[in-house]
Amino acid sequence: MGRYLPYMAFGLLIVLLVCIGLFADRFVLYLTMRVMLLSIFALGYNLLLGRTGLLSFGHAAFYAAGSYGMALFYLHINPDPLLGILAGVGLAVVASLVIGFFCVRHTEIYFAMLTLAFGMMVFSLIWNLRDITGGDDGLVGIGRNPLLGFSIAKDSQYYFLVVFFFALTVWIIHRIRSSPFGLVLAGISENHQRASFAGISIKSYRLAAFVISGAFAGLAGSLGAMLESNSDPFSAHWTHSAEPVLVSLIGGLHTFSGPIVGSVLFVVLREIIERFTQNWMLWLGIILLVIIMGFRGGAMGSAEQYLARWGRKFREESAS
Amino acid sequence: MSSLLKVEGLSKAFGRVVTADGLNFEIHAGQITSIIGPNGAGKSTLINILSGTLAADAGRVFLEGRDITRLPTHRRVRLGLCRSFQVVNVFPDLTVFENIQIPVLGIVRKAHHVFRSLRRERGVTERVMEVLGQLKLVGRAHDLASELSHGDQRLLEIGIALAVKPKLLFLDEPTAGMNPVERVETLETIRRLSATGRTTFVIVEHDMDIVFSLSDRVMVLHRGEIICDGTAEEVKNDKQTRECYLGEEVIE
Amino acid sequence: MLESLIHVCLAGLSKGMFIWLVASGLTLIFGVLGVLNFAHGSFYMLGAYFCYTLLSMFSDNFWLGLALGPLCVCAVGFVVERFFLRYVYHLHLPYQLLLTFAFVIIFDNLVKILWGGGSIGSPTVTGMAGSVSIAGRLFPTYSLFIMAVGPLVALGLWLMLEKTWAGRIIRAASSDREMASALGVRVPALYTGVFVFGTWLGAMGGGLAVPYVGLLTPGMGEGIIIDAFVVAVIGGLGSLKGAFLGALIIGLLSSFGTRFIPSFDMFLIFILMAGVLLWRPQGFFGEAS
Repeated sequence: MGRYLPYMAFGLLIVLLVCIGLFADRFVLYLTMRVMLLSIFALGYNLLLGRTGLLSFGHAAFYAAGSYGMALFYLHINPDPLLGILAGVGLAVVASLVIGFFCVRHTEIYFAMLTLAFGMMVFSLIWNLRDITGGDDGLVGIGRNPLLGFSIAKDSQYYFLVVFFFALTVWIIHRIRSSPFGLVLAGISENHQRASFAGISIKSYRLAAFVISGAFAGLAGSLGAMLESNSDPFSAHWTHSAEPVLVSLIGGLHTFSGPIVGSVLFVVLREIIERFTQNWMLWLGIILLVIIMGFRGGAMGSAEQYLARWGRKFREESAS
Repeated sequence: MSSLLKVEGLSKAFGRVVTADGLNFEIHAGQITSIIGPNGAGKSTLINILSGTLAADAGRVFLEGRDITRLPTHRRVRLGLCRSFQVVNVFPDLTVFENIQIPVLGIVRKAHHVFRSLRRERGVTERVMEVLGQLKLVGRAHDLASELSHGDQRLLEIGIALAVKPKLLFLDEPTAGMNPVERVETLETIRRLSATGRTTFVIVEHDMDIVFSLSDRVMVLHRGEIICDGTAEEVKNDKQTRECYLGEEVIE
Repeated sequence: MLESLIHVCLAGLSKGMFIWLVASGLTLIFGVLGVLNFAHGSFYMLGAYFCYTLLSMFSDNFWLGLALGPLCVCAVGFVVERFFLRYVYHLHLPYQLLLTFAFVIIFDNLVKILWGGGSIGSPTVTGMAGSVSIAGRLFPTYSLFIMAVGPLVALGLWLMLEKTWAGRIIRAASSDREMASALGVRVPALYTGVFVFGTWLGAMGGGLAVPYVGLLTPGMGEGIIIDAFVVAVIGGLGSLKGAFLGALIIGLLSSFGTRFIPSFDMFLIFILMAGVLLWRPQGFFGEAS
């Protein structure tokens, strides 16, 4: 029973998303898409942070690579949406391969600083290469052409493409986490010295995790460019890299569903709090503070702990 | 007797402190060899150089005739050279089963499979259970490593090293911190595994009882040099060894 | 051409000294506590705002504001260390960094609430509002003042760490926490002290920035903290000497970059940072471990 629970939860989630797509109004539709994009970004990112134990401040660069790759491909080469997404993800993979090659030589604070430096290099390039990237204006006018004969021009149509990629991401990340590769990543994060004495080339594995997370950042970026019909230079800024970290932390760093739950909480809380006060960000800071000081498992981690305690109590009671 | 490991002119110095001074020796397959020496004799440095965590200043290392001097740790492990550590060095928040699974995956070159489910790797699972059987840890397979007793964690530590099917295994003070019962059991395990002939053990130890009861051959290291090399009896009776090493123990 | 070069140099030096004022506290805190404090930029910002408010209360007396403002920020720093940071030293790096990041978000937005979200024009300092003529061109007097303050702070820090009893304890604790603790040093109290002192340095940087940057904005800490990170990294994390020289390099580099390759000045700085991290992670001036 317990083994099939995740699959049932996944099925329910997809059904729910489809229902939202069919019946919800435009505002809810838009928010749900933002949640899914953030989830894709954070699910990939958490493979690096939660699984491999590396804190990157440069993943906004790969989000931007996806976004600008998509936009440039659309504007100059071919307006096909699927090819555009492919181009965006491709550019993100190349960028993360090159940057990751250098960054995985370090860990901990030096890794964080290296990714910050490379990320800001990308940001400064995007900011300054006006002729290519549009500088501070970004790239605008990214349309949504029909995909395999289906129109995705309206948000209510595009929505299902996002659902598809979201489901794909969840499936892939789940497979990765339960694969040999996923276990080895957890081992590297726990004890990298021991992992190399298990015949594991730790740098290659760290690089692989880096590139995979970069690819998903790129996917989120290219889908985001199509959603907003523009590419924003600030999507490459290091503060944007903090977003998947915060989301994963809110949801639970060491759980699979943490990034998804965190994204939902992040977007929903923002909407609710902004109705009542002007200071959503202040509350976000306070929420983070509370999580770090007291609930480091995040929402899902704390829920798991609570359920485990409850389950134990229940068993003890029924045994006596 | 065939030579498994050959060390030629190995040197290493940290500033002015020479921890290996032109070492030359061979390790023979099937023999339990012990390396002893007072604190600061260069035992840990030697293990670190041979296992690839530290680069030597000069000299070469051959494993079964193949030059491994410049190979990184994980390549040496795949060629059959592994080590255990003085302090508990396991994956604390993974289960005992997973602790062994990682080295098994690493050595059968399946660790990089990104998409295949772990459950489908039947061969790996069997091998993990086999190793756990050797260590008598099967019953604890699904507990977290950090929940094991200290002695069992040390045993698991050796298990991780054994899981890569090493031809040559360095054990760095394998019984440090164990109680007497665990100690006897661990020594018995080492003796039994050595008798199967698949793995050759090299033990770095402080405890003389262990060294003399277990070893076929003993090497004495002092200030980066080998001052004595022979059977346990020969080393016990060696004058220089008694002066520089055993003497200290006696005084204590 | 020569005059222009001299001025580019002067501008670079004053900018470098200005970053140094902020980076010194960051580096001191990292060296002793081992925490890279994102919120240091917030202390800088708070220093500027407190200073501004106090000086407007005391009939525009800048020096009074500069004396009192950073002290108020010290109280904030004390709360951050004593009631929050202290409990995450034993945790993994992401938690430490994110805790300080949470404070960045909180302080930025508190400032928005208390002082408003817009920019505030800052006053000039009596006697330093003008310019002096150097090599045929005008150069702001206040920038010269900053260029003098930077080395003075460096000298003061050096004297404190090398010549005083407190400095010896700080150095002992930063090289070996356990040893210092065994020798009877109350390490937690020392950490709080160093953090508060580092906070004071950051806030002083902010106070001195009031006339220098001209405008106060709620996000002003985020820009300077990245500059300070770059400087701390280039000098070798935790090395004050390195941070001082690193600040000079970054100041000059950005000044020359802005003058000669304006599109790539930022790129240049970050490529230098990455290069140092890759090839000399102990920093330009740190000793190899």
